[in-house]
Amino acid sequence: MENPSKIIIIDDNSDFRFTMETFLKRNGFETLTAENGQKGMDMIEKERPDLILLDVMMESIYSGFDVCKSVQSNPDLKDIPIIGISGMGVELGVRPDKLGEEDYFKVDEFFEKPVDKEKLLVKIKELLAEGLVRKGKAVRIHDKVYVKK
Amino acid sequence: MDSPDHQITSSGSGIGKEKSIKGLMDPMCNPKALDDLAFRNIIDLLPCYLSIQDRSMHILFANQNFKDDFGEGIGKLCHEVYKGSPERCEFCPVQKTFEDNKVHISEETVQLSTGEVADMIVYSSPILDASGNVPAVIEMSTNITKIKEMQKELKILGQSIAILSHDIKNILEGLHGGAYVVEEGIKDGDMELAVKGLDIVKRNIAEISSMAQNILYSSKKRDLIYRKVSPNEIVRDIVDLFQEKAKAMGIQLKHETNQSLPLVRLDLMSIRRMLENFIWNALDACMKDKEKSFHAVIVKADFHDKFHFKFEVEDNGIGMDEETKTSIFDEFYSTKGGHGTGLGLLVVDKIVKEHGGKVEVFTEPGKGTTFRTLFRIN
Repeated sequence: MENPSKIIIIDDNSDFRFTMETFLKRNGFETLTAENGQKGMDMIEKERPDLILLDVMMESIYSGFDVCKSVQSNPDLKDIPIIGISGMGVELGVRPDKLGEEDYFKVDEFFEKPVDKEKLLVKIKELLAEGLVRKGKAVRIHDKVYVKK
Repeated sequence: MDSPDHQITSSGSGIGKEKSIKGLMDPMCNPKALDDLAFRNIIDLLPCYLSIQDRSMHILFANQNFKDDFGEGIGKLCHEVYKGSPERCEFCPVQKTFEDNKVHISEETVQLSTGEVADMIVYSSPILDASGNVPAVIEMSTNITKIKEMQKELKILGQSIAILSHDIKNILEGLHGGAYVVEEGIKDGDMELAVKGLDIVKRNIAEISSMAQNILYSSKKRDLIYRKVSPNEIVRDIVDLFQEKAKAMGIQLKHETNQSLPLVRLDLMSIRRMLENFIWNALDACMKDKEKSFHAVIVKADFHDKFHFKFEVEDNGIGMDEETKTSIFDEFYSTKGGHGTGLGLLVVDKIVKEHGGKVEVFTEPGKGTTFRTLFRIN
């Protein structure tokens, strides 16, 4: 059987970590959790996850934004898709319509809390496929992703 | 001739001093004298500060309003009179008008002769001579301190709505998440999972209840009801109230009281609110600390000295660094990320001030925090 995709959940809210862990495990993913940016970053480096679920507004020295920067500036990690999550969306300056622009907090997708779990699941699957394409492990032909053998 | 029968009084620039235009309406005056006097009086009475400066920034003329609030001023440098500064102002509108003969506007903070600091909007306009030169500039300032205060309040209101919406969304996430876990537990007959979900739901209900109380407290003006109460009893009751929550978090919560403490006059409801906010913070600080295996919160009531008693809430949680310590009483400052409006300590501050007390914070990163409030024994 194929190995399940590995997702790291980084959030300082233990309830959110537990809920997401339950949800993702029940949908066939392997999960790891970290309660702050620093631990999350160490875990990312060690475990090389397939996707990162990141609370961008953790109040710690090493915030979600810092995790994002560190991942994207590291050639070995930059292909890992990141889903940013926060209770604060537009108020925080995160504008989903501007994702990917220069000088802007870059995440592949952004979800505001409360997270719509079904939409999240669809997006996770899409981004996991995208991650494989980025790593050269799959190819995209006419919007369909084919995993290389 | 001036006649005391014809006086028009005005409260000037709103600073409470009464002035009068004498003779303005006196039909016995000769028309020329009337004109001069009337103009002079009108200028003195303008509800703003008016002065004329020469190129060296010396004040040549000032109206009565100016003199009343900034002193005589004539012959002195304007920056000395307005700001008590030997240096010219960085963005001086008068200077700009001398340079380009145009009207300029700027906002300045000045100090009145009473020492009171005020925000002003300043207009400068050129006085042209026959050959079109500008030998002097007229400067007119209006006190906009009240407008500035309103502006600040509106800004805080805006911020508060943004932060409240953030917190409500987080609590909603907790409720949704908890309900999902309960559902999955029931679906699989996994009662342990269902109970975990229910705990999440309960925690978030408690969270939103506390938030609603704090919003109410910070937004509504209520009269304090002072009654003779026992600080020991307050502490014991509040510890009982939080016992179950603390237990669920794996934190030991206990009280320490001093039996010889007398009854004191306090508004019971607000003091309970204050202690609840401290306990919430203490529990949160313990939950965040992953280094220590044992966490405890101690709520104390005791004498501080002969005239004062104190409440203390001590935790051995994550503690605070200097920056956090200095920001905690700011409006809407929160370290709780997903949980906390930053209203809690603001409400504490309000309560302590209302009681004429004092808050002290002792903290060390990694070690823990103690919040102490001191009140007079009355």
